[in-house]
Amino acid sequence: MHDALILHRDHFLPLLRRLSRDHRLVGPVRNRQGDTLYTEITDLDRVEIDLEKQPLNSLKSFFFPQREVLASTLVDRSPGTGELMISFHPECPPEIPTLYFGVRSCDLFAVLYMDAIFLGGRFRDPYYEQRRRRALFLTLGCTRPFAHCFCNATDNGPFLEFGFDLQLTALDGDEIFFVETGKAGGRKLVRDLAPYFSPADDDHRNRQFQAALEARGLFRQMVPVQLACSLLRDQPEPTRLLAELSRRCQDCGGCAYICPTCTCFTIEDRKLDEESGERIRTWDACTFAGFTRMAGEHNPVSSERQRIRRRFLHKLKTDVARHGRPSCVGCGRCVDTCFGGVDIITFINSLTEAADPDHQP
Amino acid sequence: MAGLATTFGSGAMTNTINELEEAQVILVSGSNTTRTHPQVARRIYDAVDRGARLIVIDPRRTRIAAHAHIHLQIHPGTDIALLNGMMRCILDENLIDDLFIQMRTENYPALRDLLLRVDLDEVERITGVDRKTISRAARTYARAQRSAICYCLGVTQHVCGTANVRSLANLAMLTGHVEREFTGVDPLRGQVNVQGACDMGALPGVLPGYQAVSDEAVRKKFARFWQREIPETPGRTVLDMTHEHSDPLAPHRDPLRALFITGENPMLSDPSLKGVRKTLSGLDLLVVSDIFLTETAALADVVLPAACFAEKDGTMTNSERRVQLVRKAVDPPGEARPDAWIIQELAGRLGYPMSYGSSAEIMEEIALLTPIYGGIFHDRLDTIEGLQWPCPDRSHPGTPFLHKYSFTRGSGRFEPVHHTPPAEPPDREYPFVLITGRAYHQYHTGTMSRRSPSLAREHQRPLLDIHPEDARRLGLGEGSRVRVRSRRGTVSFFLHLNDRLMPGEVSCDFHFHEAPANELTLAASDPEARCPEFKCCAVTVEAEHA
Repeated sequence: MHDALILHRDHFLPLLRRLSRDHRLVGPVRNRQGDTLYTEITDLDRVEIDLEKQPLNSLKSFFFPQREVLASTLVDRSPGTGELMISFHPECPPEIPTLYFGVRSCDLFAVLYMDAIFLGGRFRDPYYEQRRRRALFLTLGCTRPFAHCFCNATDNGPFLEFGFDLQLTALDGDEIFFVETGKAGGRKLVRDLAPYFSPADDDHRNRQFQAALEARGLFRQMVPVQLACSLLRDQPEPTRLLAELSRRCQDCGGCAYICPTCTCFTIEDRKLDEESGERIRTWDACTFAGFTRMAGEHNPVSSERQRIRRRFLHKLKTDVARHGRPSCVGCGRCVDTCFGGVDIITFINSLTEAADPDHQP
Repeated sequence: MAGLATTFGSGAMTNTINELEEAQVILVSGSNTTRTHPQVARRIYDAVDRGARLIVIDPRRTRIAAHAHIHLQIHPGTDIALLNGMMRCILDENLIDDLFIQMRTENYPALRDLLLRVDLDEVERITGVDRKTISRAARTYARAQRSAICYCLGVTQHVCGTANVRSLANLAMLTGHVEREFTGVDPLRGQVNVQGACDMGALPGVLPGYQAVSDEAVRKKFARFWQREIPETPGRTVLDMTHEHSDPLAPHRDPLRALFITGENPMLSDPSLKGVRKTLSGLDLLVVSDIFLTETAALADVVLPAACFAEKDGTMTNSERRVQLVRKAVDPPGEARPDAWIIQELAGRLGYPMSYGSSAEIMEEIALLTPIYGGIFHDRLDTIEGLQWPCPDRSHPGTPFLHKYSFTRGSGRFEPVHHTPPAEPPDREYPFVLITGRAYHQYHTGTMSRRSPSLAREHQRPLLDIHPEDARRLGLGEGSRVRVRSRRGTVSFFLHLNDRLMPGEVSCDFHFHEAPANELTLAASDPEARCPEFKCCAVTVEAEHA
């Protein structure tokens, strides 16, 4: 069991302020229009921290920005031959100690998935690694899941068992936070800043357990993710369903952009002037026709009938085979974003409906 | 604009976009909605999911047409014949709304007389749609309680654009499908804030809020506030200006000598570019204000760098008359300045000093002088929703749907119209009808969108869509280079086989400066709105040999 402590809400902001001395802070902030977003905070007194609503964005862009310069390029003369050549000068981001607080279980889990993609293979992505190395995560267990959440079905929420530095659970009408310490960074934090915390007793533990138990009953979506995964594994591909949904996809790429675990990117060389340029990496989406189009305009994927095939099959089949679990974290953001009505919940429900007539989505 | 203004008294969407979700029947005409207004298409999909019937009028089997229960695949430019045919069916089956016609409209006998002379066999011949399908569509539209019409530039960009719109208005009034929530006639505007530009008087005959310059009281009101005489004659339309040399009326008027163009690229977007080039190069002075050096700006004597939408404060008004606040997010680069700043500086140097402290202050003046914007102030717009005009005063919540209790002009006026054939039908020499339009991944003349590598990857080559049968007949394959020639010019494209078109039709977009579709189009236009016939001209297609 994790070490457990209590942090009084009165000391939450002071704790953040103390940590801001040697950390960049990123947390959920409500902006002027009433939208809550994970935001870099430069002045704690001038922002409205919002621990109630689900942030519209995930943490993806903090580690893997929508657009980043990988290298600047210069037209040079080769020192040996004097011939014109292009030289590359990598621009690696600085390593900044950052505290991510108010992070939801799904969003931290998505970072752990990105770790597997960017750091887990034969090559480590240095850009991602620089941003990731000194990150601390202070997560917030979801006692009140949101309208489209289904992390219970993807098995990574509403509370986490690992991966966090500290996990907070709001108790007693949000008066106190029950704090579980996870990784070394969290243990060090509570050791260094011990006066902010007091020990938790069995009663606290019991109430935290009750809160987590009740949260599980508050999901409004019942999404049979596991059943969908096994159907995709064991049965022929649901080509008709995929075609039907592809026809309605409006090709905006919003699902991939908003998704905390969609990590596809494309690389572009851009000329700045006659002597210099940039190599840029931007997010990409497998729903775009250009994602698979080849020279001579041949496209192995029919954008009419298979546009969304790769997206759903990657999340629910390929990654299950590769990592032992789906790479959908059940955050529900693509459901809010999709305006063609072809989100992952629709897909899973339609897929499983036939196989499970008793299921009521 | 003119079509709805004369029939209903107001040229804007009668409803709110969200209301479409509750409609029982949606008739989409001349709108590639999925591509050009995806957020509207979304509501249509939702309505269809809830059981609504969808009718689409379009020469092409667009994505939205593929979702339709009834697709009326007409020959280009035959909307009026089709709609008259539908109305004749409605009359024959007695599905008209007598009470509505009696209470809320005028001039019905004129329409009835016209409809009684409509020959459905002729309609079938003109439109290419069989009469069974026409009557099925008519019945579906008329029988429902809540039917909405959405139309776009496929209806208006014809020599009979205004008459096309009147026809749709006639259909709505005949069946009483207007003046209520979820039910009406909804023009989808072609660009962001084009509604706002019209609202602010960027039309030749009106001051802000559609107050006519021909009205003396209106002129007096503005003259008193602005301390300058207001000319009583309407100005010129864009087409009258850019095609001055080909305009038969031009010799009778003072020639155009100087032109200030802001945020517009007529050297790609206007029809018959040869004429535009001739006009612009004949001017004494051409000043262009834009965010990038466009094809038009390249011809200018003076180019003023403008700030883009994210670099200034102000408002935009969308298709559903919703005024929304836009806030500055980043500073303009270099010497770029907001449009309002540029206009104030110009006015000052031309002898009319202006000194507005903020765009909020400009909005206050708009509210003071424009009844439909009377209650719209920046502080009230500080919400996601904004406000829908008419909004006459501060306590008014805005107006989701128009013409409640009565049409803006009093009674809705039936304006019967006859089929007008396209200005340039195909013939032996130019056997194809060219339909121009927009593609999903590019925007207008590409000034902004062609700078995005992601969009370029999706669509970076000028394509000419052709029916596979026609391509086979011409011995051309997918991706081959073709030269398209009209009586006005020649443009090269890459061929794209597409069976969503009818044989004999070809289509392209106008986003690419290397393939300026408007070298081909003709300057013939609607006599009232002066909107050019972008949607059909006669061309020939031939292989290009390098």
